[in-house]
Amino acid sequence: MPELDQDRLEIAEQLRREVAPEDTLTPIQARSFVRGLQTAWEVPTIQWGNAESRSQLYDARRLLDAAAIFRKVEGEASANAILCYRRAGELLEWLTRAHDDLETFVPLELLAAASYQLGGLPAMSAALLGQVRLDSAGRRLYARFLRADFDGVIRTVTAFWRDHLDITDREAPGRLLGDDGEDKVSWYFTVELIRALGAIADALRRGDDQRLDRALAKLSALDKMAVRTLGDDASALVALLYQVAITYRDASIYTPVRALGALNPERAPRLEAFARTQFSRKRGILWTSQRHGIARLLEESSFALCTPTGSGKTLVANLALVKELLLREEQDPAPLALYLVPSRALAGEVEAKLTGELGRDLIVTGLYGGSDWGVTDYWLDADRPTVLIATVEKADALMRYLGPLLLRRLRLLIVDEAHQVVPEDNERTQADFAEHSNRSIRLEGFVSRLLAQSPDIVRIALTAVAGGAASPVARWIEGREDAQAVGTRYRSTRQIVGVFETAYGSSGRMLLELMNGRPLFVRGRDEPVYLRLGTPPMPDLSAAMRHSIYRFNELDVLWTALHLIDDDRRILISVAQQPEKTMGWYKDALELESWQDALTFEPPEDDEGRARFDETRAACIDYCGEDSYELALLDQGIATNHGQMPQRLRRLMTDLIDRGICPITVATATLTEGVNLPFDIIFLTALKRRTYDPVNNTPVETPISAAEFRNLSGRAGRPGASNGMEGITLVAIPRRPASTAPKQIPLQRRQIRALRDDYDALRRRLLAEELEQAEVDSPLALLLQSIADRVRDLLGLQGDAFLEWLEAAIPPDISDEAGRAETSEESRLADSVDELDGILLSAIEEIERLRAEGLEGAAAEDAFMQLWRRTFSAYAAAQEEWLERAFVRRGRAIIDEIYPDAEERSRLYQYGFTPYVGRRFEAIAPDMRAVIEAAQDYGSATAEDRLAVFVALGELIAADRGYGFRVRATETDRTLLENWQGVLGWWVLAPEAASPDPSRLRAWQRFVADNIEFRLGVAVGAVVARAWSDGAGDPLTVPSLDAWRETTGLPWFGFWARELLRWGTLDPFVAFALSQGLAQTREAAAARREEYETWLEAEYDNLDAEDFIDPQLFLAWERSLPQPERAAGRGNSVPVELTGTTGERGLYRVVPVVADDAINWIDAAGYVLARSKRDDSPFRGRFHRQDFELHTDVRRPFVDRTFAG
Amino acid sequence: MHTCPPPHDALEEWLEGHPSTNGKFGHLLLLQKEIDREALCQALLPYFESAHLDAREVFHADIGIDLHPDAGDGGDAPIEYPGCLPGTTRKGLFGEVMAGLITEGYELVGAHDWCVPIFLFRYHEDARNYLFALARNPERKRQTIGRLGSDFIGLLLDEDGAVVRFIAGEAKWRKTLTQSVVDSLMHGKKIDDPAGGGGKVHSGKGVWNDVNNDPPVPIGVRQLMRLLQEHDPDGYDAAILSMERALVLNDPEPLPRTDLIIIVGNGAATREKMNCLLPFKEMPDDYTAGHDLQLVEVILEDGEELIDALYESLWSDGGGDA
Repeated sequence: MPELDQDRLEIAEQLRREVAPEDTLTPIQARSFVRGLQTAWEVPTIQWGNAESRSQLYDARRLLDAAAIFRKVEGEASANAILCYRRAGELLEWLTRAHDDLETFVPLELLAAASYQLGGLPAMSAALLGQVRLDSAGRRLYARFLRADFDGVIRTVTAFWRDHLDITDREAPGRLLGDDGEDKVSWYFTVELIRALGAIADALRRGDDQRLDRALAKLSALDKMAVRTLGDDASALVALLYQVAITYRDASIYTPVRALGALNPERAPRLEAFARTQFSRKRGILWTSQRHGIARLLEESSFALCTPTGSGKTLVANLALVKELLLREEQDPAPLALYLVPSRALAGEVEAKLTGELGRDLIVTGLYGGSDWGVTDYWLDADRPTVLIATVEKADALMRYLGPLLLRRLRLLIVDEAHQVVPEDNERTQADFAEHSNRSIRLEGFVSRLLAQSPDIVRIALTAVAGGAASPVARWIEGREDAQAVGTRYRSTRQIVGVFETAYGSSGRMLLELMNGRPLFVRGRDEPVYLRLGTPPMPDLSAAMRHSIYRFNELDVLWTALHLIDDDRRILISVAQQPEKTMGWYKDALELESWQDALTFEPPEDDEGRARFDETRAACIDYCGEDSYELALLDQGIATNHGQMPQRLRRLMTDLIDRGICPITVATATLTEGVNLPFDIIFLTALKRRTYDPVNNTPVETPISAAEFRNLSGRAGRPGASNGMEGITLVAIPRRPASTAPKQIPLQRRQIRALRDDYDALRRRLLAEELEQAEVDSPLALLLQSIADRVRDLLGLQGDAFLEWLEAAIPPDISDEAGRAETSEESRLADSVDELDGILLSAIEEIERLRAEGLEGAAAEDAFMQLWRRTFSAYAAAQEEWLERAFVRRGRAIIDEIYPDAEERSRLYQYGFTPYVGRRFEAIAPDMRAVIEAAQDYGSATAEDRLAVFVALGELIAADRGYGFRVRATETDRTLLENWQGVLGWWVLAPEAASPDPSRLRAWQRFVADNIEFRLGVAVGAVVARAWSDGAGDPLTVPSLDAWRETTGLPWFGFWARELLRWGTLDPFVAFALSQGLAQTREAAAARREEYETWLEAEYDNLDAEDFIDPQLFLAWERSLPQPERAAGRGNSVPVELTGTTGERGLYRVVPVVADDAINWIDAAGYVLARSKRDDSPFRGRFHRQDFELHTDVRRPFVDRTFAG
Repeated sequence: MHTCPPPHDALEEWLEGHPSTNGKFGHLLLLQKEIDREALCQALLPYFESAHLDAREVFHADIGIDLHPDAGDGGDAPIEYPGCLPGTTRKGLFGEVMAGLITEGYELVGAHDWCVPIFLFRYHEDARNYLFALARNPERKRQTIGRLGSDFIGLLLDEDGAVVRFIAGEAKWRKTLTQSVVDSLMHGKKIDDPAGGGGKVHSGKGVWNDVNNDPPVPIGVRQLMRLLQEHDPDGYDAAILSMERALVLNDPEPLPRTDLIIIVGNGAATREKMNCLLPFKEMPDDYTAGHDLQLVEVILEDGEELIDALYESLWSDGGGDA
C-alpha cells in the first residue's frame, strides 16, 4: 500500500463530506434536483445559470475521481466510493433532465448511467436511459450497454455489422491499420470497441466465461489505448464502459447459479437455462441486495432478506426453491415448499411469476378454490416437487386438514413480507385479537407452531426495510439471538412523499417534502419545494359537489389524474375506506358535460389487450351489474379494486392495471398489500379510517400506520417506463374551503386542518421510523399484555395473582357473552383469552399428533417453553419474563383443567375456530352435517331447492356472532343482516333475486365476502373437514376424488359447497368451469352446461343426480375437449457454408446478420464465420434475443438455435 | 516510463540556440545547423524510442488481442507502432516529443529542472466523431467540442517527489513557418469580419485563446496521473497525490504553472536568419493567463524528411519490446 494512501483518503473523504453527504443534498444540489423535476413536469423553473450547471458537472467529475481513490485504497466494494458514484449519478441526472447542453463530448446521461451502475443503482440507470432520446448509433450502443440491455447491444452491433460486412473477415483489423487514411487509428479503435462490447454482451448472457474474459481483456486494452490516444473525455467514456463491464462480470447470475449447480451436477444444465432466461428478462445482472441474499443462500440455509420494495427479493426466493426442492438428493416423498404471502391477490401474482420461471420443474399452485382441498389439488399426491403459495389463513386451514401429509414433504418455508408479523399497538389491534381477526398474531402463531413441529426446515423471510422489524424477524427466522438480516437499506428507486394541494378555481400544486425518507428542502429549513402543475383548473362544480370538502378534494384529484396520464403516467388514487362513495362521486363527475373533453380513454387496440379489457368488462357486469360504478369507471379507463370485490374480478382488474390498460386506478389499500403494480404517482385522499365503537357510541378514528403508508408509497416508482425518475406519493389536502355557503366554510376549514394535522403526524412518524427504532411490538406479547391489563382493570389482579387467575379462567366464566365477538370489556377479555387458547390448543394438538401420544406434566411444560422460544415475541425486543411463564402456565391449564378431553381438543382443533367458539359451534355442527347429508339430490334440484339448502345452512349460523354472521353496528349493516337471504340469493344468482342499488353494491359485497363466502364457508368447511378425518382414520391418507364420498359419507354437495359460495353460483358446473378457466363469466359458464350434459348422456347411462355434479366426470369432460393445436415445428437448424473459420473449435456461438438473401452467422465480435441462404432459414422472431450455435465438428456444418428468447 | 535523458551533444550539433528571458517570460529560437541526417536520427533515436515506448506497448498489446474465435491467446502484432501511424499524426507526435526534448534539454524561463515521466500522445480526434456515429466518414468536418487539452505536460518535483509546478505545452508543427501562418496559428484562422465592412479578421480561436482559457489544472493531468498509477505508483506516489489533490479538492491551492508554446517547421524561403515569428522581448499582451510563459521557435530545414527518417528508424532492428 503506497505510504501516502492515508493522505489521499483524506482528500477524497473531504470531497465526499462536502458534496456527497449521505441522504442529504447540499443547497445547490437540492435546487438542481428541483429544477430537473420542474423541467420534467413542464412547469417554470427556478433561477439557474450556466455557471451553476458547470459547477455541478465539475462536482460530478471530481466525485468520480474521489470514487476512484476510494476504490483504489479501500477496495472495489468501498462504501465511500458507492456514495460518490451515486451522488455523481444524481448530479449528472439532474443536469440531463433539465436538458442542459454543456457541450460535453460524452452525453451527460451516459455519464450518469455509468455512475449509477457503479454506485449499485441499476434501476436508476435504466430509468434515466429509458427517457432520453438516443439519436446516434453510438449513443444507443453505449446506453444499451450501460443499462445492461445485452439483447439491445446485440441488436445495435448486428446492425453495424450488416452495414460493414467488408470488415467482418479475420484480417480486417490489420488491414484497417495498414491502410492509408489519416483517420485510420480512430476508425480502428471504434471498430474494435464495437467488437469488444458485442462479444461481452453475448458472452455475459450466455455465461461464456472464457469468451467474456477475453473480451474484457480487449476492452481493458482499448481503455489503456484510449488514455494514450483519445484525450480526457473520450477515454473517460471507455474507462467507464470497462468498469461497468467488470461489475457485470462480478454480478452475473451465472456465478451463483453454477455454485448451486455444483450441489447436483445432473441439474446443472437446467440451472444454466434458468440463468439464461434471467438475462432474457433483463435480470441477469444481480443487484447488490440479491447478491447478498444469494451469498447467504449458498453458504447456509435459513435467513431473513431485508431490502426495499422492488429490489428483486423474488429472485432470491426462487433460487431458494431451486436449492431446496430441485438440487437436493432425490427425495421421497417429493419435497414441498410453503410460500406464505400476505394476500390472496399476491398469491396469484407470485404463482404467475413462479410458474413462468420454474413451472417446468415444479408444481406451483396458488390454491385458489374455496375448499381446503379441491379438484385442482393434484399436487397432494404428486411425486414432483411442489410449491404451495398461500395466505397464512389458508395455510393454517391446510395444516388442520392435511397437516401430517404436508409436514412429511415440507422442506422450505418462505415468509414474504414477514415484517407484517409486527402488530400495531392500538385499540384496533386489541379488538382484532378478541375477534380472532388479527393477521400478525395468526402469522406468528402459525409459523411458531410449524417450527415447533419441523424445526429443521429451511426458513427464508423476506421483509421490507424501515420500521425496525428486520433484526427481530431475522432472529426469529434463524432461531439465533445473534442473527442479522441480510440486505441493504438502499432504495433501488427514488421515492418522494408530499402533499397535493387542491383548490377550487385553480390548478393543483405539489409540495414535495420527503425524498427517500429524508426531508427535502431547497434553501434553509423553512422553504419547501413546490411544483405548480400545468393542468387546467377543474371546471365549476355544483354547490352540492363542493358541499363536502372531501368530495371536492377527491374530484380534484381525479381531474388532475385525468390530465397527467397523457405522458404515459400511471396513477393510483388510494382511498382509506368506503371506496363506493368515491366511485359514486367519480361516476357523477365523469358524466358532467364540462368534463367530457378531459376523457380521452379508448379501449386497447391490440387483440390481446382488447380481449383482457372485454373479459374484465364482462366480469364487471356479471358481478357488479350494468349500472354499477365499477363499470362506469372502467369504461373511462379507471380500474377499481377493493377487498370486498369478488376475487375473480379483482384478479382481472389487477391484470388491467399491470398491463397499463387502465392508466388510473381507484383502490383501497388491499390492492397494494405486497402486490407489485406499476404506478408513477399515488394520491391518498385520507390518512385515517373511521369505525364506530358501539360501547361508547362514539366514532373511533385509526390513523393509517407508517408501515402501511410505507408499503403503499413503496409501490410508487416504475423505473424506466415513464417520464419521471421517481415514484411520487401525494396526500391530497385542500388549500381552502371549496364551499361558498357561509355555514359550510368554518366546518370545511376545520376539516382541512384535521387533514393537515393527520399528514403532519404521519410525516413525523415516517421520519422517526426511518431511523430504525430498536424496539418493535410482537403479537403474542401484546395479547398477553392486553389480557393482563384488562384483568388488572376489571378484577384488580396483578403479578402472581394474575398468573393464578390465568390458570383457571374459563371464557364463559369471565363473560356471559364470551365467544360472540361482543364489545364489552368483559367479553373482550374472555375472547382475548380464547384467542390465546387457540394458539396453545393448536400447538398441543399438533405436538401430540407428531408424538403420537398425549402431552402432560413436565413434557407439556417443556413443549410450551420450546414453543414460546420459537415465537416472534421471544425474539423481538427484550420481553418481560412473566410473559413466558403466563404462556406456559396457560398451556398446562388447557391440558389439565380447561380442555382436558383430548378427543374434544382434537375436534376443536379441526374446526379451526378458537376453542371456546369451537365448543359453541359443536352444538350446531351435527345439524349442519345433516343438512349437507340430505342434499343428495342437489345435482338435479331446481335453483329454488338448491338455494334452500344454503338458506338452511345459513340459518344455523346467522344469529351467532361467534361462529356465524357478524356485521358492524351500523344501520346499513343491520339491515343487510336482516336481509341476508336476499343477499345470498343475489350472490348465487338465484332466480328473481333483487340486485343492490349501485351505492349499496359494496356493502352487499362486503357482506358476501365476510359472511357468506368466509363465515358460512368456514362453518361448512369445518363440518366437511371433520367428516373427512373421521372417515379417513389415518392422518396420512391422501384425499382423492375417488374415495371422497365414501370417506366423508357426504354427497358431492359437501365437496362443492364452499366453491359455490366463492364463485357465487348454485351450479357446481359453473364453479368448475370458472375455476378451470373454461368460461369467463357465470353466464358463459352456465351456457356450457348443456354441452357437458350432452357429452355426459352420450358417454354414460343411468345417470343419477350425483352424476351431474360429480367432479370426476367434470374432469373427464374437460379432458375430452379438443386441445388447441400447437404450431407445427419448423425445424431448429439450418445447414451452412463455412466462410470465416477453419472450424477447428467444433462449436461456435453465433449471431445472425441478415443481409440481402443471405444470413451471415457472425461471432458477436463481428467476424463472419458461416453463411446460409435466407430462404432456407427455419428461424423467426427477434434474432437479437436468441442464441444460435454453429457446429463444425460434423460432416455438414449447421447452425441450430439453443435459446429462443 | 520515459527514462532516457535528452541527447545534449546531438542537440547542440543539430540546433543553434538563442535564448532570452525577461522576468516570467522566456523566448528560445532554435535554428537548424548543417546536419548529417542519418547520424542525427541515430542520436535522437533512444530519446524518441523512450518517449514512445509506453504507447507502443499498449498499442501492440491491444492489437495482440484478436477477438476472432479461432485466435489463440497471444499472437504477433502485424502492425508496428508508431510506424503505422499516418503522416499528420506522426508530425504531431514529433512536436510533442520535441516539447519534451526542449523542456528537458534546455534551460527555460524560471530555470527549473523539469521532469517528463511519460508522454501523452493524444492525436486521434476523429475518434470523437466515429465513437458516436459508428460510421467512418473522413470527409465530414471534424466536430470540435472543446479541446483535447495540452499537448504535453511536464512536472517539477520537490525533494519528496511532490509536484510543485506544471509545465503545459502546446506544440504546433507547420510545414512552412511564415508570419501569416504563425499569426493564424496564434490568433485563429481569418474569417469575415463579424463587425462588417467586408474585411477579414482572425477568428480569435488560436493558441493564445487556448492557453488563456485553460483550466487551472491543465487538461491531461488526469491522464498523466493514470499513466503514472499504471506504471510506477510507488515511485510517483507523492506526485500522484499532488495531482489528486489538484483534481479532487474544492478550490485547491493552485499549483504554479509554466505555459510552453512551441512552433516547429521549416523556415520560409524569404526568412532572415534571426527573424522571430513570435514576440521575444517581453511578455506579449496576447497572453493573459498570468503564468510563466516560454515561447520556442524551432526552424528546421527539410523537417518532414527528418521526421520520416526518424520515425522509420524507430525500432528498425525489429524491437523486442512489445
